[in-house]
Amino acid sequence: MPRIMKLHRYIDHESQMTPIDFQVTRGCFQVYVTHKFRAAIGKTKLVRDGEKVLVGISGGPSSCALLHLIQEGLSQRAHKKLRFKPGLLFIEEGQVVGQSLEERKVTLTRIHSLLRQSGFPYHLCKLADSLDLERVKTLSACQSNHAAVNKMNQSAMDINTAAVNKMNQSAKDINTSAGNKMNQSAMDMNTCINPVEGDKGEVEKSGHGENCCDLLEMNREAEKLFAAQLGSIKSISGKEDFVRALRHRLLLEFARQHGYSKVMLGNTGSQLAVRLLTDISTGRGMQAAMETAFADRRNTDMMFLRPLRDFSSKEIAMYNNLHRLECVFIPSLTTMGDVGASIEHLTEAFVTGLQAEYPSTVSNIMRTGEKLDSSSAVDIESHCALCQGPLDTDVGMSSALAALRFSLEISTMGKSNGKRCIKGDNSVNNTNDELCSNGVNYDAKVECCGESDGSCRSSTQLSVPDEGLVLQTLCYGCRIVAMEMDDVNSLPEFVMKDVAWRNRRSVMKAEIQDFLLDDR
Amino acid sequence: MPAICTVCSKGAILKRPKTGNALCKECFFHAFEEEIHHTIVHAELFKRNETIAIGASGGKDSTVLAYVLKLLNDRHDYGVNLVLLSVDEGITGYRDDSLETVKRNQEQYGLPLKIISYEELYGWTMDAIVKQIGLKNNCTFCGVFRRQALDRGALMLKVDKIATGHNADDIAETVIMNVLRGDIGRLRRCTAITTGTDGALPRCKPFKYTYEKEIVMYAYFKKLDYFSTECIYSPNAYRGFARAYIKDVEKIRPSAIIDIIHSGESLSVKKDIRLPVQGVCERCGYISSNAVCKACVMLEGLNKGLPRLGIGKTHKERRKMQEMLQQETGAADSTPCTDQSLKSSCKCENKTDQSECSSQTYDSDNASGCSTYSKSQKCKDGCSSTNPRTVAKEKLSIFGKLKQPPSIDF
Repeated sequence: MPRIMKLHRYIDHESQMTPIDFQVTRGCFQVYVTHKFRAAIGKTKLVRDGEKVLVGISGGPSSCALLHLIQEGLSQRAHKKLRFKPGLLFIEEGQVVGQSLEERKVTLTRIHSLLRQSGFPYHLCKLADSLDLERVKTLSACQSNHAAVNKMNQSAMDINTAAVNKMNQSAKDINTSAGNKMNQSAMDMNTCINPVEGDKGEVEKSGHGENCCDLLEMNREAEKLFAAQLGSIKSISGKEDFVRALRHRLLLEFARQHGYSKVMLGNTGSQLAVRLLTDISTGRGMQAAMETAFADRRNTDMMFLRPLRDFSSKEIAMYNNLHRLECVFIPSLTTMGDVGASIEHLTEAFVTGLQAEYPSTVSNIMRTGEKLDSSSAVDIESHCALCQGPLDTDVGMSSALAALRFSLEISTMGKSNGKRCIKGDNSVNNTNDELCSNGVNYDAKVECCGESDGSCRSSTQLSVPDEGLVLQTLCYGCRIVAMEMDDVNSLPEFVMKDVAWRNRRSVMKAEIQDFLLDDR
Repeated sequence: MPAICTVCSKGAILKRPKTGNALCKECFFHAFEEEIHHTIVHAELFKRNETIAIGASGGKDSTVLAYVLKLLNDRHDYGVNLVLLSVDEGITGYRDDSLETVKRNQEQYGLPLKIISYEELYGWTMDAIVKQIGLKNNCTFCGVFRRQALDRGALMLKVDKIATGHNADDIAETVIMNVLRGDIGRLRRCTAITTGTDGALPRCKPFKYTYEKEIVMYAYFKKLDYFSTECIYSPNAYRGFARAYIKDVEKIRPSAIIDIIHSGESLSVKKDIRLPVQGVCERCGYISSNAVCKACVMLEGLNKGLPRLGIGKTHKERRKMQEMLQQETGAADSTPCTDQSLKSSCKCENKTDQSECSSQTYDSDNASGCSTYSKSQKCKDGCSSTNPRTVAKEKLSIFGKLKQPPSIDF
């Protein structure tokens, strides 16, 4: 006699996965999922009323489920409806796997219709945009279909942000079906979101729908740059890490520029368990806790939330099946690859295999992740320049990092075989983890203008910093990726800017070192 | 085109698994030895005039460890005295062969040797234990018993530290296994190079950053002799999964093993998580995080014919025992007390509740676990079949407070 779970009387308040051998009715399952989702958001009290939250949609099953849950939660008929203002963002990543333009257009069109039906304002951008963050500012939101909005959501809680070149006009560009109060607040929001000059941005036609594929045509230089950088990373694991760091950065920047205060992602518990193990295997132990927590506070101004973290992928699949949700399949670097293609792929196979034999594996891993401390670093200088995680390289001499460095040194006896001279050239007795720099290797000595706000433009091109300096600003995991590249200086622009800024600050600090009372 | 050694530019004969550099034999030896020296020096593992016991199993790690420590001790003058300590678990076909290797090592390196066996300490061999418990969970018994055995042997020899041959692969496996098992306390401790500094004998792992493959390579080229078979009971161990995973990850990225150790070192635990506190076992005086140490619990279980006492969930085992007692004992006074005491303290998850179950009607049975062997021998013969009749006759002393048995003073 199979055990029946009667949900209308008792709901499990612990954040646990569904017991596998229970049978449930459809109604109970729907209640269960909705309750868990709402509890995850409500329990932490992190999302305030009226807050703008950016929801990252990848097109996969968990994103679709998340979208649907948000829609259900926000709709009028929901019991105690949710109260935040979501905006959707899709990041097009066809370039990573080398898809052709036609294939990318097909995907983009499908996603576009999916997003449009939701009734929320949505944005489309591509991964290569992360290399050209200036441009991100000028991307505007696409108008949701006015008719669809009326159909879906009577209490149209969202605003359509106007196109850039209409910014300078008055409020008549805003078309919501809400009252005047909404118009007023929408107008205020518009004026403070896109404070850019009208001529810089691309012209987006209103009701822009069908021209979404313009996205692929724009900014070809960034795409080329991205392809070059991605190509120079040799291993697939490294590529995946790089893509992930860029994606995170793009989400962050986009949310910042467009006035969102939080980002919501649809990672499920099973995916996060794989992520935890992968992070440990790639040397990112310190960030592992952050990546699997409900609230990722890596950046103090932008919180990343993961409300689906208590669900297993089976539950999400059942939910999608129940509501007949359509997902868009987007191939990744390891799709159809063999098990040993990358570390993440291997870990996924490992966890799934283990879960089949020991059903509590994923929940054990998640529980371990919860107990780990995801303390955020205090100041911006102790963040990795690439992934924004905390820097974990300030370890003593008796540590894995020091041991590895020593091994490399002793295996090459200081002879650099070409360019890789960063590790441990005659730096045996360093007490802190300064990687060797063969003297600062600046191309041209330029005079600093003296302003210390990072706006120094004393030469048209920033002088090329030494490899050692760049690596110093990266965490252990990102260093592995960076060292696979042919030229560390070909890292994205935001990384290089950060490196240069930190270098200037350390020079400044060295000058005033004697007078600093607090050793920080 | 023949490969060139990256250090001395002569012909290279091997590629280092750790860094991928091609090296010639002498440079590899030098690199290997210097790295271990570096580890020892920077972690301050040894002090002058200490006596160090090397846990020798006859396998590759301990053979190479003995060789290298002796070499480095002479070369760099650490000034420590080295002794070999070996544990005989009583596994036929595996342990008796490896012990021959250890005896050979003793002659070759000229180090004194002590062998201590489970039979003499606990009255049980692993073969007998496996007959009772089966092939799953037997590694738990062996591991717990061996740890105590090493400590007791070391105390008999009066050493200051124990050095074990755990290599980088082992530590990486342990990190992964602890994450999978959710054991947060162990996760925090397992990457420390020296453990057990408070209370018991400290143990250090000089091979912490050494790859297993390099140890094998070193032994191969130096022509060191060792015994290399898997324990016959190990294929079903949970650790096997972690090991397979580590091997696969290493194929993808050779530095992954050190990366995992680095991750393990940088993990930090939230402050408000309850971690086990160290105390002393009531029965044998060994360190323990519960009132009665795991080895005593397990032994009691084995001797009473309830081998899963140390393994299964505490409250379930207690319930089983309660049922058994109710069936057998006609004595009225013991039963209500049993009920009462169990009811009050059976709050399941918290293992420390075990100690609160005090009931005066339980006779202070002689410690059938640790030191008296004759009784346990008899018992073993008697209850090879788990016959509840013979078991229940003896009062179960594990949950009662006993007088302290005479034992080694820690």
